[in-house]
Amino acid sequence: MEAAADVRWKGYSLAERDWRWQAVRANAAKAGYDCIFVPLCVDGKNLHLSLEQSRGTRSDCRFLTQMENAAVVLPTDGRQPIVINDRGTGNDWVPKARPAMRGLRGSWAPAIAQALLDAGMERARIGVPGLGRGKVTHGRASAGVINHSSYDEVIRQLPNATFEDATDVVGYARYGKSDEQIACLRRGAAIAAAGIEKMVEVARPGVPEAILYARVMRRMVELGSEYYPMALYTGPMEGGERLPRFEDPPIDRVLQPMYRITNEVDAVWGGLVAQELQPIVLGPIPDEWKRLVDLQREIYEGGLAVMKPGTSFADFIAFTNGLGEKRGMKSLILMHGRGYGDDGPLLTPQDRTYERVRDVRIEKGNVFVWKPIAMSADERIQFSWGGCVLVTEKGGEPLVRRTPGMVSVS
Amino acid sequence: MPWKPPARAGATIPIWAGYSIAERDRRWKAVRESAAKAVFDCIFVPLGNGTDGRYLTQLRCSATVLPTDGRPPIIIADRSSRNEWVPDPWQTSREWAEPMTQALLDAGMERARIGVVGLKGGKVTHVRAFDGVVNHTAFAAVKRRLPNATFEDATDVVGFVRYVKSEEEIDCLRRSTAIAEAGIEEMVKLARPGFDAAVLYAAVVERMLELGSEYYPLAIYTDPIGTREPKRYTNPPIGRRLESNTLITNEVSAVWGAQVSQEDQPILLGRIPDDWKPVIELQKEVFEAGLKFMRPGTSFGELIDFINGFGAKRGMKTLILMHGRGYGDDGPLLSPRLRGENVRDIRIEKGNAWVWKPYAMMADERIQFVWGGDVIVTDKGGEVLFKRPHGMISIV
Repeated sequence: MEAAADVRWKGYSLAERDWRWQAVRANAAKAGYDCIFVPLCVDGKNLHLSLEQSRGTRSDCRFLTQMENAAVVLPTDGRQPIVINDRGTGNDWVPKARPAMRGLRGSWAPAIAQALLDAGMERARIGVPGLGRGKVTHGRASAGVINHSSYDEVIRQLPNATFEDATDVVGYARYGKSDEQIACLRRGAAIAAAGIEKMVEVARPGVPEAILYARVMRRMVELGSEYYPMALYTGPMEGGERLPRFEDPPIDRVLQPMYRITNEVDAVWGGLVAQELQPIVLGPIPDEWKRLVDLQREIYEGGLAVMKPGTSFADFIAFTNGLGEKRGMKSLILMHGRGYGDDGPLLTPQDRTYERVRDVRIEKGNVFVWKPIAMSADERIQFSWGGCVLVTEKGGEPLVRRTPGMVSVS
Repeated sequence: MPWKPPARAGATIPIWAGYSIAERDRRWKAVRESAAKAVFDCIFVPLGNGTDGRYLTQLRCSATVLPTDGRPPIIIADRSSRNEWVPDPWQTSREWAEPMTQALLDAGMERARIGVVGLKGGKVTHVRAFDGVVNHTAFAAVKRRLPNATFEDATDVVGFVRYVKSEEEIDCLRRSTAIAEAGIEEMVKLARPGFDAAVLYAAVVERMLELGSEYYPLAIYTDPIGTREPKRYTNPPIGRRLESNTLITNEVSAVWGAQVSQEDQPILLGRIPDDWKPVIELQKEVFEAGLKFMRPGTSFGELIDFINGFGAKRGMKTLILMHGRGYGDDGPLLSPRLRGENVRDIRIEKGNAWVWKPYAMMADERIQFVWGGDVIVTDKGGEVLFKRPHGMISIV
């Protein structure tokens, strides 16, 4: 892979910007909104429910502006958006932004309310993404992501406007990826795979886990990934107990023989978060795990074939969750969208009803992290492997080629 | 307790939680006293305010109701997390509005005066978050369920407790500072013309992580010396190699015991130009004079005036640049953008910690120099926690 210093990519094109804005406008018009309003959102460090959720807090403004933190008023009728950020700093997409703060200090609310008034929204029906959970974005954010004090003041200043949740309006524009986004996710997946290669190279009994963590993060950052914490799980293979999850370097822990290492190795390129997973065992793979590894490969590959445009998630869940039983074991769907953070649909063991997303359909251009779980009939041992997958006409296509299975480091 | 925990939870995420029970009790007692003085019936740290939540619980993600009258707090956590400070919190998964409401009702707060931490920016915490950090949807739901209670901003109630560090906190900040200095050493070791800026960034991050720091973004600038507005990177710079006469300036932060340190060390890939030398010398003077001046009891108004007036006597300019250290977004914040009008009355106290990095500049402001790092306030003034000698490092 080329060194970060030699990369010439300067960001998304203006055509990509126009495509995104147009998609959001079209969705907003269909929902009957006069504009889409992305308010000031809480920062991910403070609203840190999970890594994904943390990253997702300001994802809609990033999608619409390529800015880390901004409020946006995008009229549905085709007029240009008004963008507000900390200092009024513009970029290629939004050369002129408005500063949030007058006199260098103060609330964002006056500037945001003025933007809505300037856009003629004093009596409008205003769609607000991020007020609650969406089907394909903010799937983990049951309480949404919006900052209270500024939002409360804005709605107070526009008493005749109505504000409604429009998370899915922006969400479905984010759901299908453009070619530019797919190219970024492909590079992100390749960087994550390089991180995994480093992990396999470094992981040995006796190595402090903080060193392992640091080496993998360095490898991805030196290839140009934004820092996105790796999730690292380590512990004895025997027993198959649920392992603790570390999102910072584990302190005072040293890898031991027959340790199991699982992970979520994420890399970020072009603002989009890729993820690859690679279980590793520091010793030979026990026989009882081999059957699971084989089953998981079958589910993974079978899922790629079923993952075609038009398939409903209800059908996809039924296929995935039913396959294990046919082999005298169990299988469970585990997947979620890839993109700017907290992308969906979110399908995890925590919610096995899947009620929120059963009716969502798979579309060409979706990108998921696909990592189904195979487990023994008593659910005592569980195995998940996977990574980023792009939906094409023919089904799922991995964005980076790796071999399903567990890596044994002897 | 009417709140029913969820059937399934995500994996528990252990974080550093090494402060003593005595430290917990000190913090809770100080917050209660501060709340009582402000006549709040309880202090409420809602969803969204992760920083104060961690300060009061050592949990990664939590909400807290701390009654002022001395009863134990009700704490809500997720992912089955618990620790020595909080052995038995209420557990939730993705739902926060309902357990927060129940916690306030269980604590008898249906008609209470409730102090909400993080609703607005404070004087010494959440200093950059003018609109606070509270999650709207969950907080609005809580307010609807307690229509007879009053909710008021109490950011400074916890803020002024966080403002003064205990011995345990200072020990952690000292270690955090040492890790940041190790990051700087790595930068000095590698920075050469032709070197990939992203690799430099990654190597510094790696060095601090392997020493056990939690991640905190490294801020780095890598433009030629004399550039008026160099570009700031808080992620690895893409498409850049270092060159001769690149001036690397930085904010190298490490985290230990949740204490965020920051060290600032300019590095020049070339010889230091002569016209920079008097500015660097002035910065050394103002840095050291400031240390002596920052004694307990001194007001920030006095410190600001002293520092901002210091350079004129040498025919140059000086400007205060500093902010608090602690769990994050600590204040007071004094910078060229925020001149400190709202904090002039605040007094410096023994046990304060900040990053101290005043500006020195030529009269026309063409050349500006900043250097500094972590400092704690003792009876004798400021004491630096780092070991580096003053100045710009020149790599020829």
